[in-house]
Amino acid sequence: MIAVRHLTKTLGSQQVLRGIDLQVKRGDTCVVLGRSGSGKSVLLKHLIGLFKPNAGEVWVDGEEISRLPERQLGPLRKKVGILFQSGALFDSMNVGENIAFPLRESGLKDAKEIADRVAEALEMVDLAGEQEKMPENLSGGMRKRVGLARTIVSRPACLLYDEPTTGLDPIATDSINRLIRRLQKRLAVTSVVVTHDMKTAFHTADQVTFLYEGRIYFDGTSDQLRASPDPVIQDFILGRSGDSD
Amino acid sequence: MVTSLGRSVLSFIRYLGELALLAQDTAVSVVVARLRVRLFMWQMFEVGWRSQLVVIVTGMFTGAVLTAQTYFQFSKLGMKSAVGSVVAIALFRELGPVLTGLMVAGRVGASFAAEIGTMKVTEQIDALRSLGVHPTDYLVVPRVLALLCSMPLLVAESIGLAIIASYFVGTQLLDISAPYFISNLLRYTGPRDIKMALVKGFCFAVIIAFVSCHQGLTAKEGAVGVGRAPTEAVVLCSLAILVINFFLTFALNLMFPYGN
Repeated sequence: MIAVRHLTKTLGSQQVLRGIDLQVKRGDTCVVLGRSGSGKSVLLKHLIGLFKPNAGEVWVDGEEISRLPERQLGPLRKKVGILFQSGALFDSMNVGENIAFPLRESGLKDAKEIADRVAEALEMVDLAGEQEKMPENLSGGMRKRVGLARTIVSRPACLLYDEPTTGLDPIATDSINRLIRRLQKRLAVTSVVVTHDMKTAFHTADQVTFLYEGRIYFDGTSDQLRASPDPVIQDFILGRSGDSD
Repeated sequence: MVTSLGRSVLSFIRYLGELALLAQDTAVSVVVARLRVRLFMWQMFEVGWRSQLVVIVTGMFTGAVLTAQTYFQFSKLGMKSAVGSVVAIALFRELGPVLTGLMVAGRVGASFAAEIGTMKVTEQIDALRSLGVHPTDYLVVPRVLALLCSMPLLVAESIGLAIIASYFVGTQLLDISAPYFISNLLRYTGPRDIKMALVKGFCFAVIIAFVSCHQGLTAKEGAVGVGRAPTEAVVLCSLAILVINFFLTFALNLMFPYGN
């Protein structure tokens, strides 16, 4: 479903990605781990064409997308949805309008069908009946759920999650992790989850990729990651900084 | 010194290039993408209706004060009856479009840059793109079209109110004869002056729309970046209006020469 080949990206003077190769099979969930600033989100945004690489290729569903002009990325973006770190809700619209937005933009006009699909998406993220709330009245966790509802309402074949649990309390984190797992089962989508939260990784992953200094440092299952004797990986899993007191 | 100057020139050329690309993208969008009528109407309301206060106050008080100052000078020369025509020509050819342009740049330009800039740093523009919606189609085109449609009307309204205010100040507060005021005004102003005002208003709308939207789209991360976008939009629009007005004046005088 997704293949990345020799991807490099420089932002300003910093080379963020230094030749990434990654493959995610259809229906699998790949969790991309790494420290803050390791290029996880930059990698994720390449998968939906929000960033153009300096070199390398990005293949989604058999199509090389990295050289496509912005206006030709529309059809791809109907197949791939992304949940942004902040939810990225449109603050001039209420929850219902936010979720209905992709449906209306794709040309759906039947008000009843739109309302039904919005209600169904909200039910999937455990926010049934919250259509009228404005984004500023939602908690961080609720914003992410609404963002997720907006992403899944148009039924994409692939879901990208940018730090879905960052900034949430442990209970909200657990709830989002379960939600991701539940959506994977219910919608059978291919997912790429960018996170530095080990619980999210172990809870949701079929495949774990560890990004370190702009390169893929580890690619395998979560059990293999846990069993790895590599000190860089063990420090990350156990949250050891290596600094003395 | 030379390096720094060279860098500034290159950065200015780059900026002009970015503006040109945004204008090109907008033109493509107008042709290939559907117009979002609701957004366009909302922007017409924001730009046209919500600018009423500044346009009315600017127009009326500019007309009033210009009449008073012109009267004070002309009365010494015994040319009181020429006040109406001089004021009208100044309003049509320069003050009406320029002052309206500056006021709209301050109100509308700042608002465009702040709204789009906030959407950029809160990932709302990336969200639009991820949902298959081109930001130019959704954010820039409705604003540009609304400003292009509204601005000539706002300029006309401002000049009309300025002339009405000028008439009342001249004939009611000062001792200019009403028939002389009107006959001189009609004799020395014509369609060429109206065309000049409207063309200038349209050109200033182009400047305000693209400069402000560009400032929003290129806003830097954080509160400082979002704060800078509207400030820079207003400063750049105001400077551009004043400088381009100078060249427009010469070009439009060739197209609509005075006295013909």
